[in-house]
Amino acid sequence: MQIIISNSSNEPIYEQIYSQIKRHILMNELKSGQALPSMRQLAKELDISVITTKRAYEELERNGFIYSVVGKGSFVSEQNNEMIKERKMKVVEEQLLSAVQNSKEIGLSLNELLDLLTMLYREEL
Amino acid sequence: MLQLIRKDVMLQKNTLLIMLPLLVVYIALNASATILSGVLFTIAITMQAFMLDEKRQIHILFNSLPYTRKEIVTSKYIGVFCFTGLVLLTILIANLVIHGESPTWKELLFILCLTTLFFSFSLPFSYRFKSQYLLFASIGTFAAYLVVINVFIPNLHDLIREVVAFLLAMEQVQLYVLVGCALVIVYILSWLLSIRIYEKKMF
Amino acid sequence: MENVIELKQVHKSFPNFQVKDLSFSVKKGFVTGFIGGNGVGKSTTIKMLMNLLQPDAGTISIFGMNYNKHEKEIKQRIGFVYDENVFYEQSTMLDMRSIMKSAYAKWDDELFHYYVKEFELPIKQKIKSFSKGMMMKASLALALSHHAELIIMDEPTSGLDPIFRRELLDILHSFMQDGEKTIFFSTHITTDLDRIADYITFIHNGELMFSKEYYQIEEEYAIIKGATELLDRDTEKEFIAIRRSNHGFEALTSNKAQASHLFGDSVLLEKPSLEDIMYYTKKGAEGGAAINT
Repeated sequence: MQIIISNSSNEPIYEQIYSQIKRHILMNELKSGQALPSMRQLAKELDISVITTKRAYEELERNGFIYSVVGKGSFVSEQNNEMIKERKMKVVEEQLLSAVQNSKEIGLSLNELLDLLTMLYREEL
Repeated sequence: MLQLIRKDVMLQKNTLLIMLPLLVVYIALNASATILSGVLFTIAITMQAFMLDEKRQIHILFNSLPYTRKEIVTSKYIGVFCFTGLVLLTILIANLVIHGESPTWKELLFILCLTTLFFSFSLPFSYRFKSQYLLFASIGTFAAYLVVINVFIPNLHDLIREVVAFLLAMEQVQLYVLVGCALVIVYILSWLLSIRIYEKKMF
Repeated sequence: MENVIELKQVHKSFPNFQVKDLSFSVKKGFVTGFIGGNGVGKSTTIKMLMNLLQPDAGTISIFGMNYNKHEKEIKQRIGFVYDENVFYEQSTMLDMRSIMKSAYAKWDDELFHYYVKEFELPIKQKIKSFSKGMMMKASLALALSHHAELIIMDEPTSGLDPIFRRELLDILHSFMQDGEKTIFFSTHITTDLDRIADYITFIHNGELMFSKEYYQIEEEYAIIKGATELLDRDTEKEFIAIRRSNHGFEALTSNKAQASHLFGDSVLLEKPSLEDIMYYTKKGAEGGAAINT
């Protein structure tokens, strides 16, 4: 599991760890049930404080990416694709809702919004 | 606390290896004046040992280790007896071997009493003031002594010798017991005073 | 999570200086860095933690016990490393070992020899001939060899070269692996803390400025850089201290979210270093929240 931390980035270190581990899990580079290094071991290897890795692991656990067994360590959760999809759907819904509200505020019509969305979607792909 | 006493003695290994043979040599050359030499040697050896611990960093060391201040002080008070004992033993053996006679138990006891008396005063003094002041105090006392001896009481030495002989000749057990108890009380009071002084110290 | 050290409203007065109303805790299993400039009370606090001094008021409890009743028990479980050397002048590592061994019930010769070898310390040479770095390693070897649960260090890295300071941090990282040990160390070299400190306790002028998780500092504090025109009486209140120059201003805020909201994109927001925090806090406390260059 490769984790590269930038000390000069404005993103807090625990967030960097969180995103990178999350990406490894979602890309299946870390398989379900695989053991992660202990937070102390990871801190030592990355040369950072334990509380940083602890925070990252806590976030990962809170969001269902990993689970911990007392005395044994932390492991990658079963990545239920349905669950991920559902979660992401929620986020998309929220973001769209926000876009809709903003559009209404400046008087953007539904068609104009759809055009914008189509253009952005195609650009991304 | 025993380890503290042991430490004091062990650190003096080298000094003892020089001083005790020196004492033996002195006894070989000089059959008399056992008491004075006994007292002086004990004081010299013990003060050497205690001065090692007077550095600030050593106070910090032992107060950071799991010892109470009471233990640190008490180890010194018991240490006095250890060093006195070593000197007395040396005197006893040296006299037996070299002169074929042992000093009287009264003489040995007298040495013990004098050193105990000395440390009853010097220990609290060293805890309260730095040892350099003790040096000044000793020089001051010695100077005063010289003045007294030359100006006021010319035959002080003879006087002292007479008093000592007189005391040693006395048979009254009650007197000895009385003096002994008085000394013990003085030593204990000194010990309590030193503890109080040391417990209030800041490092 | 238990507290290994707890200070409550500790006061200590000296003729020229005072430690006032100091309260903070040190959590078990973590490294707490104790920062502040010179002469602000770090050494005084550490001495009180070691019972070398006693507070005029307030309570200090270590492992849930206080020094009045449990002095020896507490000290059995503490390993200490000071800035100055606390050895007998003529002693060697072996001499010090025998002093430590007699004092500590849990002294471990095997551990001691392991560290002596790791740190490459000559065991029969007089300690007074050691370099400063070696003396520190010697103190550390002695402190780590009796299964202490709490290591207290007072400026352990001042006067040491940067390479050795990194090696020390590695040693400490290894030491902390089992989660049962706690380290509390004071330093004014804050870059050392970036790699290992979990909590930071910041003291200034004898008073506590803050005591929090390291990442919280990243979250709450920020350095704001922007054009001088942005400053007016209202915006200046946002900052702990401001440094103005002909080319713009730089300031520290303890409320990153609010500052970001207030200034938006017109300023640059950066992660503050512990040094920045110490510097601006000192400036802010001196009453001149404005520093002009």
